[in-house]
Amino acid sequence: MLVSFAESIVDSSLTQWIQGTYWLWPVMEITHFIGLTLLLGGLIVIDLRMAGFFRSIDPATTHKLLPAVIFGFSLNLITGILFFYGDPMRYSINIGFQIKMVLVLIAGVNAAVYHFKVDPLLRTMDRSLASPAVAKVVAYTSLGTWTGVLLLGRLIPYVGTG
Amino acid sequence: MFVGLENSAVGMWVSTSLWAYPFLLSVHIVGLAIVVGIFSMRDLRLLGMFAALPVNTFSNLGKLALAGFILNAISGLLLFSSQASIFVTSVPFLSKIVAITIGMILAHSIQEKLNDAVSSNTKILAAVSLICWIAAIIGGRLIAYIF
Repeated sequence: MLVSFAESIVDSSLTQWIQGTYWLWPVMEITHFIGLTLLLGGLIVIDLRMAGFFRSIDPATTHKLLPAVIFGFSLNLITGILFFYGDPMRYSINIGFQIKMVLVLIAGVNAAVYHFKVDPLLRTMDRSLASPAVAKVVAYTSLGTWTGVLLLGRLIPYVGTG
Repeated sequence: MFVGLENSAVGMWVSTSLWAYPFLLSVHIVGLAIVVGIFSMRDLRLLGMFAALPVNTFSNLGKLALAGFILNAISGLLLFSSQASIFVTSVPFLSKIVAITIGMILAHSIQEKLNDAVSSNTKILAAVSLICWIAAIIGGRLIAYIF
């Protein structure tokens, strides 16, 4: 599926523009790195509080960081799509990229669990109590999957086909 | 001296081992996310964003950021050892090191101010710190492009 999509776009004008614009790739990489620091930076604070650290702080206030997280994710979604368009045949068959995308999807499902189950729970609970198990699971799943995304993203140039 | 470092046992291990370099790069990006992630949120908070979040949240996170920095100092030194003579004349690399040094000195000053009300002086430190960390990322990425 990924490969047939890659074949369908490999001759696109967007692919040709990305490949022909010499300064674009480093600029996209820098943007992707800034995006990942906003995404992870916000999540480190939100997830550690959700997991039960620094309980003197109201968990609802850490959620104010969510716009930074979403902005970072948006930057990386856009630059990520452009990377894929820039070299579709290499990314589509790369095992590092494929597993990275699966982890992003798991992180997305986890974020949905956070939004619909954990967030309402944290709003009503006594904040001095230990975090409920579901909050801890969601927090560590988030930190774990995004760390995996970082590792696999960095390994894309070094691993082969899947 | 830098050629000597490249030819040392450590330098040779990083440059010739199949997995050492990608492994160290992977460690380095996790450290980057921890250090710059925490510091950028702290600086944005000090500059007035996410105002409902107490500033001293970041007082608790100082040690984690320091752990991330140590992780990256070690992984960075090992990566450096593999191509020391190239890195040492690289303008992006040297700019990155200057930016990180200033960023860490500022982190020390800012850490002591996180339990107080945010002064305009602290805001200036936060703004310079944020610029330093963005510069460190830009420098780090450009090492591969500008020689």
